[in-house]
Amino acid sequence: MIPPVALEICVVCLGIFLLMAESFSFKSNKVTLAHGAIFGLVCVFILSFFIETNPVAMQDSGFYVVDGLSLFFKRFALLATILTLILAIDYLPIVQRLVPAERPEAGSGEFFILPVFTCAGLMWMASAADFIMIFCALELVTISLYIQVAYTRRSLASLEAGTKFLVLGALSTGFFIYGITWIFGMTGETNLAVIQKNLSIVPEANHTAILFGLAMVLVAIGFKIAAAPFQFWVPDVYQGAPTPITAFLAVASKAAGFLILIRVLQPFFVLESFQAKLILVLLLLAALTLIYGNLAAIPQTNFKRLLGYSSIAHAGYLLVGLAAIGDAFAGRAVVFYLSGYFLMTFLAFLVMVPVTKATGGDDLSHFNGLARRSPGLALAMLIAAASLAGVPFTVGFFGKFFVFEAAMNQELYLLVLIGVITVASGFYYYFKVIRAMYWQPAPEGCGAVAVSPLSKLAIGLCTLLILVLGFYPQLLIRFLP
Amino acid sequence: MQLALFSIFSLLMLAFALGVILLRNPVSCAMSLVMSFVALAAVFVTLDAYFIAVVQVLVYAGAVMVLFLFIIMLLDLREEKRRRVRLSAWVGGGLVVGGFLSALTQVITALPALDVVKPVVSHPMANDVALVGFALFRNFNLPFQIIGVLLLVSTVGVVLLSKKELK
Repeated sequence: MIPPVALEICVVCLGIFLLMAESFSFKSNKVTLAHGAIFGLVCVFILSFFIETNPVAMQDSGFYVVDGLSLFFKRFALLATILTLILAIDYLPIVQRLVPAERPEAGSGEFFILPVFTCAGLMWMASAADFIMIFCALELVTISLYIQVAYTRRSLASLEAGTKFLVLGALSTGFFIYGITWIFGMTGETNLAVIQKNLSIVPEANHTAILFGLAMVLVAIGFKIAAAPFQFWVPDVYQGAPTPITAFLAVASKAAGFLILIRVLQPFFVLESFQAKLILVLLLLAALTLIYGNLAAIPQTNFKRLLGYSSIAHAGYLLVGLAAIGDAFAGRAVVFYLSGYFLMTFLAFLVMVPVTKATGGDDLSHFNGLARRSPGLALAMLIAAASLAGVPFTVGFFGKFFVFEAAMNQELYLLVLIGVITVASGFYYYFKVIRAMYWQPAPEGCGAVAVSPLSKLAIGLCTLLILVLGFYPQLLIRFLP
Repeated sequence: MQLALFSIFSLLMLAFALGVILLRNPVSCAMSLVMSFVALAAVFVTLDAYFIAVVQVLVYAGAVMVLFLFIIMLLDLREEKRRRVRLSAWVGGGLVVGGFLSALTQVITALPALDVVKPVVSHPMANDVALVGFALFRNFNLPFQIIGVLLLVSTVGVVLLSKKELK
């Protein structure tokens, strides 16, 4: 049995080893690095099934918790990083074109190494039980993502995305710290468990101040999960960033934000006066996010931008689940939704990267006639879009179903109504991709789109899982914390 | 006495912070930021946090900002041009700032007493540096290590993003 901290240590060591290998072996092919990183991460993923579940040494440090939720999200982060690396291998020619370098392969090695460090940050975030720890891990994740977003710096869009992300990320960090300061000042603690204990002794008069601090923290997390009205950075950053990083942002960074949200809200739900107010805030956020994300997605013509808006909309559905947290199943519904979101978003990106490479762009019109050129890819994208929209017999349907069920049990009828209406508008804009693939003629002189074997494997697995979980959601529910 | 000093230095800090935003010459902006940092260090002193005050002056006001000044002078930036700000931006910004300020005043007036007595330092000549070191390496070791990884990543990032031609 190995101690749980070993997982993060292994990931960091893997990252440092790859950095060394990158700098001291000039001749090597950079894709080897990516294969090494994927292999290492798979090893850590397997290791994660053999760790001590109840370690004694970690109990009193207070920074680090080991529970079902944290383990689940660690595996989530590892798999997300592996898929990002698979995407990155396919995306390599575009990176090499857009990075100023003496030789084409120079400067592309770090594109495979930085996600490994981000993964370590995500894993620490999954285990964080203290505001200081949450903050450090969050900064590791965001700062490494700033670099990755601006990585292809010959493209102006990527630079613009990086700058926007940096400025707004710094702003949200400011809100986060300010909120933590107020909470620390009123409760005398940064540890979430101790805060929960202290809340009952804090005098009534100080409650407004705690709520104010918590509101600041919520604003910061709102930026991370892209909830309206803190979503304005999403479309530009998602469109400008290199496509694998967009997928990483959309899935891993968002899931980590939701995990932090669950962890931070937990101690404050104990007091009844807080609970009512917090749920009201979550309700408002959810309704705004649902309406904004779904309506703004309708006129989009660029597929990456469309997925950006769709990721805002999905944050809305997840917030519906959180607002219904009083229901016994709501927590698991949120985690189930995140897992489904993981599969379908990565599937969409896995299809998109080879298509972008073959057609030279990521507008919806670049998908024209894909069904005739490569029916397999088109079918995978069809399933991804159907699942994102929430068509029955896909994992996306059950994700939405469970979330709405929890909301119904909590009698949030208005929110469910908004949810159902926005799902209908979702059908419209996801259908646009399907229409482009199946009903539009392909441009002249294009053959089948080439897909690397690793991508084929990943596409196959994601498609299969989406369909299997669409019939047997219990398969995943049994593993949920 | 202490309260008076605290107010003077915090007002100074805020005034210089305003200068950073409002002045047009980049060099004056950077100098205002230096002064704002120095005033912040003085605030730390009034709170008996001598170590943080010294680090604030040495690291932020000294090293970081001087480097900043060098870069600004090397780049030979000219005065910022006056920009027209759209009405919607004014209204939006005003709403956010106004909402924030009203929430803040509400919170502060709701607090029972602002004249909380500052806890007396247990040992007035406590060895600050050693204590901070102990706290960092014992109680806060894990976050400290994460910051180490963070610094490594940012170093790699700086090289990647700033080098003219990667080798």
